[in-house]
Amino acid sequence: MIYTQKTPWTLIIGIIMAGYAYLVQSGAMEPLIKFLHTGKHTGEMVGMGYAFGAVAIVIGLWQVAMKPKEGHGDYYLSTVAGVMFIMIIAFVVKWGLDPLMAVWGKAAAPTLGFDFFHVMNLNYVVMGIIAGIITVNVFKIPRWAENGVRLSRLGLKTGVILLGTLYSLAELANLGRLSVVLIGFFVLGSVGMVLWMGARRKIPNSMGGVLSAGMGVCGVSASVAAAPVVQAKSTEIAYTIGTILLWGVLMMFIFPIVGKALGMGYIQFGAWAGTGILNSAQVAGAALAFQPNGIETLKVAEIFNITRVLFLPIIVLWLAVWYVKREQTGVKVNLGQVIFAKFPVFVLGFILMFALSSTGIFAPPQHYKGKYFDNSDKVLVKTDAEGKVDSKLLKDQQVATLKSEIDKIQSEQQKAALARLIDNKKIMSIDDDAVLRGVVNAKILSKESNGILKAAHSAVYHTAKMIGTFRTFITWFFTFGLVGLGMQITMASIKQAGGHPLVIGSVVGATKAIGSLIVIMLFVRETI
Amino acid sequence: MTKEKFDRGTALTIFKSDRMEDMAALVLSLAIAFLVYVFIG
Repeated sequence: MIYTQKTPWTLIIGIIMAGYAYLVQSGAMEPLIKFLHTGKHTGEMVGMGYAFGAVAIVIGLWQVAMKPKEGHGDYYLSTVAGVMFIMIIAFVVKWGLDPLMAVWGKAAAPTLGFDFFHVMNLNYVVMGIIAGIITVNVFKIPRWAENGVRLSRLGLKTGVILLGTLYSLAELANLGRLSVVLIGFFVLGSVGMVLWMGARRKIPNSMGGVLSAGMGVCGVSASVAAAPVVQAKSTEIAYTIGTILLWGVLMMFIFPIVGKALGMGYIQFGAWAGTGILNSAQVAGAALAFQPNGIETLKVAEIFNITRVLFLPIIVLWLAVWYVKREQTGVKVNLGQVIFAKFPVFVLGFILMFALSSTGIFAPPQHYKGKYFDNSDKVLVKTDAEGKVDSKLLKDQQVATLKSEIDKIQSEQQKAALARLIDNKKIMSIDDDAVLRGVVNAKILSKESNGILKAAHSAVYHTAKMIGTFRTFITWFFTFGLVGLGMQITMASIKQAGGHPLVIGSVVGATKAIGSLIVIMLFVRETI
Repeated sequence: MTKEKFDRGTALTIFKSDRMEDMAALVLSLAIAFLVYVFIG
């Protein structure tokens, strides 16, 4: 069988990609880039545009000029056309639709009262799947691209393995004991409940597996990570993501109303939102809606949210073993042998990356998603080769500005943190940083002082370069994988999946929200 | 896409088995990690 199709499209896509890179490089796209606020991606646009464009042009010319012979060369090279087909859609999603939604979300926020881009999570994940679904259902996948679309799962798996680099064990150890116990109980409980309900309602193991990870851990990325472990179909992943996002939007509005009606404290509400709401942006939205003029609730909610995300490796392992066992029912086999034969190797890759990241080879071991606190002078004060000193410590003028406004602050804790910043010209601890972020958020001080506090925060919070690069790779592998995944979702397959995921997701989500509310009201006071 | 269209792999993957696909993803990830460590670190 010969897989390579004679088509000019690979060549055309290559020319478009390289042409776009040239236009960005020449500055011709400047107005659009400015409008979409994608200036930080110009390097990526130029580099990836030229690189993918060059490959597509070379392969495109070969496809047009040569007569392919059956064999490995034909089989593997035929995937390039499909990869380029997905990539050009991924470019539009990542550099066009994603930032466009962000711009529109911000513009509509004063009218709607909320930023729909953040609330609906309309980022590249959702846009990628939608773009894929539209492509397959409206335009159909061209025959020359079909073989490349079959590489989308490889993209997702590679992205999941690299996802392990974003987390570290030290971050887990830093979290409060209560958050670990509470989250552990509800994460494991939700996963178990979805699996149990899924079995009772006789939904496929793959659907139950992917939904359990989504409802238990952290929504979208957990669903994507668990999907290949339980061999979930594209439709099942899309259904799970849809269920989680819809549920999260609903809860984001309901949680603050309930929290205020019950007279919950900041810590209680932060713990509840971090436990009961699934998506990180929606957790932050609910916390800020509950306490718009401070950051205490948001800080607690973030701690609980991070704890939940860090349960991902445990859940992925659990699902891997569960799925292998479930698929072997009725056959008497040695479980150890079956697990050895069927266990997904890429899960081990994820654990390996998590372990490597925990050793600190990519970033200081206490990092979370590449961000870490370091206020040492060797980081804040740098001297270049010519002996010129570049200091990120506060200047005397800035210190004077803050001193003149310190009496505007009522809270003793905030006053003390600001005093320490003034005395040392730098933020002295992670706690002080969180307190000062609260001062900025509450808009107690002047615009100038808030600017100084933001600069002081940026000086001590760093993003590890290597983790930043891993994030870029992960984002692109996911965009590629999700567009391809969307291309496997036809209207017929959506109808076939039915409404079970929505029912199970809603029951489990409601149980988790009510259960965690009861536990928090009973046991959580104003300390963690 | 139907399975009959391809005489290798399945409708979802070009690889012969899931394990082959996992191994390819692992090798690709390790290569990326190594390159990032060497060139960015």
